[in-house]
Amino acid sequence: MPRACLHLLACLLALTFARAEDSVSWEMTPPVAGPGQPFRLQVRIESDVILGPADRVGRELKPPRGMALRFSGQLFRANTTEATLNFSGVAPEEEGAHVIPSFNIRFPARLIKIPAITVNVSTATGFRREGQARAELVMPTRTYYVGERIPGAILLKGSEQEMVNGSFGVECEAEGFTFQQTGARNEELPNGQGLQTGFELTPIRTGTSEIAINGIMLVNTGGFGGFATQGRDRPFTFRRRVTVEHVPETGRPAEWTGAIGRFLAESVSVSNTKPEVGEPIRLRAILAGEGNLDRILPPELASNETWDVVPGNDRRFRRTEDQRSFTYTLVPRLPGKHLTPAIRFAVFDPETRTFQRLEFATQEVTVTGNAPAKVELVSLDPGAAVGTGKPAAGLATPDPTHRGLLDRGVKTVAPLAASRPFWATNAVLASLGLTLFAAAAWTAYLLAHPEILLRARARRTLQACRREATAAQDEIGFANACVRGLRAGCAPWLDAEPAALTQSDIRRVLPQADAGLLDRVFRRADGDKFGSPATSALRAEATALLALLAELEARL
Amino acid sequence: MRTWWLLLAGLLAAPLPAAEPDADAGQVAYAAGDFVGAVEKWQAAILAQGATAGRLAALGNAEWKLGRKGRAMLCWERALLLDPRDPVATAGIRHAQSAGGIERPALTWAENYASFLGADTWLVLATASFWLVVLCLLLPRLRRRAPTEWQEKAVVAGATIFLLSLPGLWGAHVYARRAVVRQADIFLRLTPTARGEPVSGVAEGDIVRTERPFNGYVRVTTADGKSGWLQAREVEPLWGGGLPANLDQKPAP
Repeated sequence: MPRACLHLLACLLALTFARAEDSVSWEMTPPVAGPGQPFRLQVRIESDVILGPADRVGRELKPPRGMALRFSGQLFRANTTEATLNFSGVAPEEEGAHVIPSFNIRFPARLIKIPAITVNVSTATGFRREGQARAELVMPTRTYYVGERIPGAILLKGSEQEMVNGSFGVECEAEGFTFQQTGARNEELPNGQGLQTGFELTPIRTGTSEIAINGIMLVNTGGFGGFATQGRDRPFTFRRRVTVEHVPETGRPAEWTGAIGRFLAESVSVSNTKPEVGEPIRLRAILAGEGNLDRILPPELASNETWDVVPGNDRRFRRTEDQRSFTYTLVPRLPGKHLTPAIRFAVFDPETRTFQRLEFATQEVTVTGNAPAKVELVSLDPGAAVGTGKPAAGLATPDPTHRGLLDRGVKTVAPLAASRPFWATNAVLASLGLTLFAAAAWTAYLLAHPEILLRARARRTLQACRREATAAQDEIGFANACVRGLRAGCAPWLDAEPAALTQSDIRRVLPQADAGLLDRVFRRADGDKFGSPATSALRAEATALLALLAELEARL
Repeated sequence: MRTWWLLLAGLLAAPLPAAEPDADAGQVAYAAGDFVGAVEKWQAAILAQGATAGRLAALGNAEWKLGRKGRAMLCWERALLLDPRDPVATAGIRHAQSAGGIERPALTWAENYASFLGADTWLVLATASFWLVVLCLLLPRLRRRAPTEWQEKAVVAGATIFLLSLPGLWGAHVYARRAVVRQADIFLRLTPTARGEPVSGVAEGDIVRTERPFNGYVRVTTADGKSGWLQAREVEPLWGGGLPANLDQKPAP
């Protein structure tokens, strides 16, 4: 028993000592330095005791020949077991691996040994010691095609004198292109001496045009580590004349559905390899590669004797993974071992200007169950929720000879309501109808009120008689005109023929008229007919007679 | 002699083949997978003989095969304007919605009602019934006689048809304010300005309802109910054109 306790204690001590190992890691920025390039070295220490601040760090530091290295500061927190120490230095002029020898760092609680650190120096990093910061446009130089995705990047390269700290306002002015930035806006270049901004261009129409990409980069002109640094904005502009064409029609396969780029058939899978007859399964194909994944139409799969195919609605597109999946619902119609329909795909490679065919491998599926007597095509997506299924889709066979009702063949598909002749015809018809209606109404009114016409006719006759009486030279003519006028003016009131009216009828209409005057004018006019012509002169009473006619006309 | 007469009568009675060589050439090209050739043939037929529902729907199929979603949807929608029951255009739009991811606003009750007949048919019906009623009301008055029984029946029938055609006219009016998005990768903007904030993306071929225009932009509502502004050149209305506009050509000054 004591021996067992001792063994247990020894194990615990061993574990304790093992736990007491200090963890030291380091990171150099940039990972590979150019000759003479400043670099930053960060050393992180994790211990099992509270470390506190390091003391006399740079004393044991012995950089290799040609390398400048100094301790630039430390980060520590009270009562923590972690510490971070920063060193800055300048890489040697000679290429190769330069080793910083192992050195010790003294903490109040412990002395920690830092292992040897290797600094790699290479001229391939693109480090520039002198020169202005500059921007470079990286884009494929070739003919572009409508709908393709053109990746590009703007490299903002600095130097030791001018460092690029950032950029903003990157925009593209181009007719017929869509522009979209991708990834992080200011991603650091591998050599740590600049930034890069990625973007994508998509041509949407053909033609030759000029694209202009503008932006502003932030340049620090004070070099590394200086306190008197000065920042300034420096704009940059790229103009490039490009030609955009449609994907060539020569050699274009029928199964090409808009894919431009370089793709490969990543994988194809079925949800169930042993379904029953009529049991829907999902066939999923994943396309991967670089190109316009989001603009590709899913390849069509036709139903056949073995399978009913319903296209799925899977539009998943993961830009970060450069993948696109196509999903179909397959419904087996017959039992037995069958292969799923092959998904054939055509891709246009803009670099080689050729079409390539892709085919997703067929999958073997064992269908169980019995064949129905008559197999009907499915009309709904069996994978969809109840009530939300869309009818099975597919293009119908075109029939250009088909015409609809009133479909007479037009140059412009415009509504009849926008036709001026249509409304002009209706306006004419409306005017005609209104006119006829008004005429009919007026006629009906006149028929209902015949006295209006009688009075109008009497008024016209009376006016003519007045003019005739005024113009008459002899008395007999004057008397005849006056009597005719009196008879015509009184006839509408008595509803009688004018010629049938007598002197007494006139007095019924004009009771205030002078009876003697009426007697004299009637005897003068009609006296010859009855043998007692008047002998008195009427000229003296012409005014009174004409006034009588005027009164009658006014009453009409 | 009698045999000759029978032969002549048979020849006269035999139906003549349809004299549409261009359309047939388009069908042949389409069946052979030469969709570019089919598009050219059918476009030429439409320019020469006018646009019919069948030709537009066939052209839409060929455009879809070439991956031109916007042009295809426009052809199919215009075919449905000419013939709301065109089977090819109906199938094409269903296919575009299910397989092509095209978004199309659901029809309102008035639009559903209007889709029973074409917009022109509704207008002709309404106009004809209106004038029938007017004529049957006016004729007895002009003749100064009491309306006959058939005139009264015609008035009732005409008024009924006129009233029934009013929802159809309204639905056709609302339907006519739709447009097809012709540009790819564009966004609805919050304001009708060049610096308008993008609200939501719309894809080529999507159908939107258009509202008022302003400043070279037009306010639209997408199928999922989002409203915003699109540039007027980014959409093409259903009414007012034969073939889809060629966006590669700059408009004449």
